[in-house]
Amino acid sequence: MAYEPPVTDYDEIVENGTCAFCGCNCDDLDFLVKDGHVVGVRHACRLGASKVMEDMDQRLMVPMIRDETGELMEVDWDTALDKAAELIAGAVRPIFYGWSETSIETMKHGIRLGELVGAVLDNQATICHGPSLQAVQNVGYPIATLGEIKNRADMIVYTGSNPMNSHPRHLARYSTFPRGWFRPRGRFDRTLVTMDPKYSDTAKMSDIWIGFEQNGDYGFYNAIRAALRGKEIDQDYVSGIPKEDIMELAEAMKNVQFGALYFGLGLTHTLSKQRNIDMAIEMLADLNEYTKWVLTPMRGHFNVNGFNIFMAFEMGFPYGVDFCRGYPRYMNGETNTIDLLTRKECDVFMVIAADPGAHYPGGAVKHLAEIPVIQVDIHWGPSTEIADVVLPGSFIGVECAGTSYRMDGVPIYMKKAVDKPETCRDDEWIMRELLERVQKIKDQEAAVASK
Amino acid sequence: MTYIEKPVVPKVVKLEEPTAKERKILNMMLNTGSDIYQGACKKRGSTLKDEYRKVCGVAYMDPKDMAKLGVANWDTVKVTTDWGEVVVCSVHSRDAPHEGTIFIPKGPWANVITSHETYCCCDPTYKGIYCTVEKTDEPVLLMADLMRAVYKKYVDDEETIPELESLGEMPVYKKK
Ligand code: SF4
Repeated sequence: MAYEPPVTDYDEIVENGTCAFCGCNCDDLDFLVKDGHVVGVRHACRLGASKVMEDMDQRLMVPMIRDETGELMEVDWDTALDKAAELIAGAVRPIFYGWSETSIETMKHGIRLGELVGAVLDNQATICHGPSLQAVQNVGYPIATLGEIKNRADMIVYTGSNPMNSHPRHLARYSTFPRGWFRPRGRFDRTLVTMDPKYSDTAKMSDIWIGFEQNGDYGFYNAIRAALRGKEIDQDYVSGIPKEDIMELAEAMKNVQFGALYFGLGLTHTLSKQRNIDMAIEMLADLNEYTKWVLTPMRGHFNVNGFNIFMAFEMGFPYGVDFCRGYPRYMNGETNTIDLLTRKECDVFMVIAADPGAHYPGGAVKHLAEIPVIQVDIHWGPSTEIADVVLPGSFIGVECAGTSYRMDGVPIYMKKAVDKPETCRDDEWIMRELLERVQKIKDQEAAVASK
Repeated sequence: MTYIEKPVVPKVVKLEEPTAKERKILNMMLNTGSDIYQGACKKRGSTLKDEYRKVCGVAYMDPKDMAKLGVANWDTVKVTTDWGEVVVCSVHSRDAPHEGTIFIPKGPWANVITSHETYCCCDPTYKGIYCTVEKTDEPVLLMADLMRAVYKKYVDDEETIPELESLGEMPVYKKK
């Protein structure tokens, strides 16, 4: 990459901004602001910086709806909101999906709206860490905060996760490199282990790489558990890993002072799904017979955990909450977005700060192509190509403030650095408007019905 | 402590490599997932641009597999699974060796061919899908064109899709 000189031409620095990208929620960013625009950002990684230094060509600036020819057409806010409210109020089985890249304050109105129309509220966990949440419900959740791990851990294990690509500052800020209270020499005091079939960028820099077979996670953790319990492993290789290595690794894991396991989508996206994580958590339970081990899921978006915590607090269930019967219901495989879409149940789909067009499997997007889609987002993306109503929101953490939850469940208030473009609105405002407008339609319907 | 020898990332395997037996179709395993280039480009918002096609519309392949198939960096290949087929560029993987598997960063291209099967666990199967890879001359579509060609939401006549003009790299909408 070509050398780029540092940005020196700016009016002011806004300190202690929070990065609105991944679940690390790095809260030490400095934004360099000039003429009301962020022209540079300090301390962020490549991902965080690229999000802050957004591509203004594709910024959604104005509300739009599709005309008869199927082309998006600029309209005013009233028309767009009315159209969206009309769709939502008339829907039989609406899904409100997304929420992970917006603030808790927005979700508050979203839940009310969901309850009012009997919608299904779901977030990105449904396509990423959903199985982890199920596993947590199955076998428990030995979690620790990132700060605790930073100060104590002398063995860090990443399994099915590649933080150098998806959470680039995770190693540098929270787990491996920083000096901690009990680990004064930082990296030298810690052993870094990566378990991944792929020789990933994280594996390249770790001390130990365990490249078990594809879909071999379940067998491998079981083998470690067997070794921990002093059982004889009767196969020479388990999931492609020699028996002796498994014994040696189990021994090493037993003999650390404080171990931390971070797991990612490599576990949830393969065939055994939540059973992989069940097994990983139970492996930790076995390890805790000998020493202290904790785990944290590597959550992807900066507030994906926030939705789960908020939902679980308000409604009792973390995601995929169905209000169609008037009370919250949660049933895996039934009230989750992908299942609802592939069964073609949903009739209006609202996406808030997410991109199903890019991240759903084709089978699910095919149904989105048959029903009206409302999009609330900041950039023109694959979902805009299939959206019928587009409402431009604003950028949490840069253009408006809000609360989010880090991957370990620590809430962080993200402050505002610059003003949003004039024609855009806050996500919170959009949700409140939609709620009010839908309420009005429902009230009118009720008034007519009672006559 | 080293349990498994870390691999030496092989130098690019030449197409005339004697050990590589050329084949028309390779049976492979497909993995998809995030990748730093994909993440940066997606969240910056540059999804319509050629840049996004270059980071997401690619299949990272082991150089040995590329040699077998007779494809070079940035040649196009067609990847087919039970759920669909998509044309992407073949590129040398940075994480080689992983003979027998390909990696497509998550995005519209990968998701044409991933499995929506959740097995009642809410999460579709994005990783570990059997696929075939073959050489092709078809171009890799830009994001907007891909969405139109695959999901056909606003096209009246499906027959005409190949002849339609490209939607280009900038947002298209009617301004007031
Ligand atoms: S590690 Fe994550 S939160 Fe931190 S700067 Fe990078 S993208 Fe942002």
